[in-house]
Amino acid sequence: MKHRGRGLASMWYPVGFTGYANPSGAVVKINEDGTAVVLTGTVETGQGSLGVMAQIAAEALGIAPNDIHVVSGDTDTCPMDTGAIASRTTYITGNAVRLAAERAREMLFDVAAGMLRVKPDMLEAKDHKIQVKSFPSRNAAIGDVAYKAYNDVGTPPIGSAMWNPPMIPMDPETGQGKPFGTYVYATQIAEVDVDDETGEVEVLRVTASHDCGVAINPMLVEGQIDGGVHMGLGFGLYEEILFDKTGKQINSNLTNYIIPTTLDMPDVDEDIVENYDETGPFGAKAVGEPSLVPTAVAITNAIYDAVGVRITALPATSERVLAAIKAKRAAEQKQIPA
Amino acid sequence: MADVLDVLEKDHVATESLRRSDQALRLPVVAPPTSLPLDPPLVPQVGEQTHAVGLRAQRPDSRNHGLGLTRYIDDIALPGMLYAKIKRAGISSARIVRMDTSKAEAMPGVHAVLRGSEIPTNVFGTSIVDQPLLADPIVRQAGDGVVAVAAVTEQIAQAAIDAIEIEYEPLPGVYDALQALEPGSHKVHGGDTNVYARKVIRQGDVEKGFAESDRIYEGRYYTPGIEHAPMEPFTSIADWDANGRLTVYASIGRITLARVDLSRTLGIPISRIRVIGTVVGGNFGGKNEIRHEPVLALLAKKAGRPVKGRFTRVEEFIASTIRHAFYMDYKTGVTTDGKIIARKVRMVLDGGAYCSFSETTLGKACILSTGPYVIPNTHIEGQVVYTNKTTAGSMRGFGAPQVCFAYESQMDDIARDLGIDPIELRMKNFFRDGSMTSTGQVLHSVKVAESLQNAVKKFGWEVR
Amino acid sequence: MNVTLTVNGETRSAEVPPETTLLVFLREYLNLTGAKTGCDIGDCGACTVILDGKAVNACLMLAAQADGRDVITIEGLATREGLHPLQKVFEETGALQCGFCGPGVILSAKALLDENPAPSKQEIRNALAGNLCRCTGYVKMIDGIQEVAETMRSVPTPALPAASKGEQKHG
Repeated sequence: MKHRGRGLASMWYPVGFTGYANPSGAVVKINEDGTAVVLTGTVETGQGSLGVMAQIAAEALGIAPNDIHVVSGDTDTCPMDTGAIASRTTYITGNAVRLAAERAREMLFDVAAGMLRVKPDMLEAKDHKIQVKSFPSRNAAIGDVAYKAYNDVGTPPIGSAMWNPPMIPMDPETGQGKPFGTYVYATQIAEVDVDDETGEVEVLRVTASHDCGVAINPMLVEGQIDGGVHMGLGFGLYEEILFDKTGKQINSNLTNYIIPTTLDMPDVDEDIVENYDETGPFGAKAVGEPSLVPTAVAITNAIYDAVGVRITALPATSERVLAAIKAKRAAEQKQIPA
Repeated sequence: MADVLDVLEKDHVATESLRRSDQALRLPVVAPPTSLPLDPPLVPQVGEQTHAVGLRAQRPDSRNHGLGLTRYIDDIALPGMLYAKIKRAGISSARIVRMDTSKAEAMPGVHAVLRGSEIPTNVFGTSIVDQPLLADPIVRQAGDGVVAVAAVTEQIAQAAIDAIEIEYEPLPGVYDALQALEPGSHKVHGGDTNVYARKVIRQGDVEKGFAESDRIYEGRYYTPGIEHAPMEPFTSIADWDANGRLTVYASIGRITLARVDLSRTLGIPISRIRVIGTVVGGNFGGKNEIRHEPVLALLAKKAGRPVKGRFTRVEEFIASTIRHAFYMDYKTGVTTDGKIIARKVRMVLDGGAYCSFSETTLGKACILSTGPYVIPNTHIEGQVVYTNKTTAGSMRGFGAPQVCFAYESQMDDIARDLGIDPIELRMKNFFRDGSMTSTGQVLHSVKVAESLQNAVKKFGWEVR
Repeated sequence: MNVTLTVNGETRSAEVPPETTLLVFLREYLNLTGAKTGCDIGDCGACTVILDGKAVNACLMLAAQADGRDVITIEGLATREGLHPLQKVFEETGALQCGFCGPGVILSAKALLDENPAPSKQEIRNALAGNLCRCTGYVKMIDGIQEVAETMRSVPTPALPAASKGEQKHG
């Protein structure tokens, strides 16, 4: 018969490389009409990073994400970037983009200061305008300022920046050090049904609560969480590369190496913890990798809750779960006093 | 030979008919995206409130994705482009004693054959530089490439590598990470040990911590090798211009590193190399370093034509990297009221045949192995060993999912044994702002307790 | 050999070697690269197209087997007037991430909705079971398809021109 169980797991995860420099550069060019181009050496690998970079630059320039075009993935045109790895893009490339945008904005402020007859440090960029702080009615359209910068003043606004998370390498003897700029945290809870006759586990739903600092784009954060739960589900229940005795893979195809399909995937309830990390761009940290980390063990903890067996080797296939159930029954029988 | 000519003939016929049908009908029905209404308007609206951070903004690439118009690398073909295939060893530990490529070279449609010995610097790696592009002469994993061919079609390239005769002298091998630790085991890279990276983290006095603990829990945990399985197989194109400048298109997430590796392996200045990272059809850590790009570049140079290399799904499994299998021993000392005061962790990672991202995986795994918990006395020891299996490298989470499986399994066992609610046990030990990690880092921006509280509330977890 | 079929409402014809798969025919002979090569053995569904109203793996079928039949590819879904509702919802909700599986998923969903305008969540899951995705966990896809089904039911406009043409002919 089927038994229902629930299990939870918490985790922490660092952003960036372990105690090594992993910088990102960025260039922000404001166009004649106040739109902008961002150059970044990172590559879009599906996570939506280019949109996030546009949102960060837009926030700094007071324009909309759609006003920004992001150029990426070309060593000839883009500045150095350590790459789409280690959940580092939003935090590290994002900080570089924010700084570069602020530098380009300073050039706009210099031009606008003359137009509005104030000092540059009294200005802010907002709603497609450069305006005097606390006197927003005194303003100039960002396109007019940019046009003037190009054609009258002769200072086309371009900003470039580099960012590398502050860190202290780990001591080789003791491991002491400050290997990362920041960490993110999460808890996931899984609800499962376990069939004690077949060992089959069905994951019914997963609640996933993640701290990623400020979510630059909550829709993309949810997407990362959904995908992470999917990968964690595979890690927990199905996926394992099998080798023969001579080191050759046995199941090197998607017929026999099982990744979860729509039929296996539970409902996912995503939650984004409210947070602001002062070291991140506009308070943001990361979510890419961490979303898969606690899923598998939340599931095996739920299996324990359902049928009382501890799975210590992944994946928790039906065979393994059933064997554990049988072993438990055998042990219980032995314990009955004669 | 007759078969090959047959294929060539068919190829020719097909090209001719394509030309005819194209002239007759031009392009098929493809909705031009420019004619679609664009929303919101393209010109910045002055005064319109801008609000960028926190916005559920549409992805800039989503329209092309939905229309099927995103150009992934396999959708790109350069004029005159050839197709490469790499012959995989199919044996896990061996020495190549003889290779005969003459039949392949004589095949019509074959433009270039490349052996490992022709690569200027036939070795690469992200930290330890230990991986050959084409094994020469030692094969250390079944997925090692041994020779490459470029031909006018993928089919001919495949037929050509099938026709290459290779004689191997089988060598002893080691196929189990724990056996690889034993003194008598086969040494994958020679020397006196298969251990190629170690990490130690020590804080407080772990033995004293155990002595002061009311209960001690011990557990052994295992997690297997995992494939990234991106939907898009790894693919690259190499193209030289007449000035001897190389452009590599690749579905790779780290173009800066790729350019350095190309420069080092080919022996040409960085200024003569351009790497274009195409839209990656899924990465998850499997597309973070070069795989075959220098081989394609050299084939392209020999042939004088651009060359594309596309992994088959099988190659994606055997010739890219995988997630490290982990063996973990956890020993944790706890007081009866549920405070964790000591933890000792020993872990062995199966690194497979080459180093790849093993060092950073090991580092993260060791740091994270305490879990998000304040533990005053820790001793963490990790090592990665070579085996004659598929190389393990970076994969989403870098060791974190493996250690999380161990520490959270044990956490529940401790809670049950002490009769403490699993939520309460975690809340009691969680990091807070200002807590110190096992490496001595003082944390800020800690929200683990909040994540647990939110999850419990959203899930509807009722205390039993 | 000659293969003639209807693609996105237009008759197309080409001379191909007999072993040419429908996927290669579409990608290399017609330059319709929306259908993707993910595994080439029918496991992943990235090559899904609609053949006579049914979603099929184009990598498993010879072009010759599609001779005289009606094929809809991802390129045939949008019109000059606008996107297919599935495309619209998917882009608005970020249902696709790397996007490689997207054309196949959208076509599987379209084939389902054409046949069953009011599918249950389980029916949607069943229809997409042959389309692997490694990025999204299918969550926003399934939600999006449900949303489209509801919208399409409340607005009784017929399906798109390219699609309906083929379905009338064969269906």
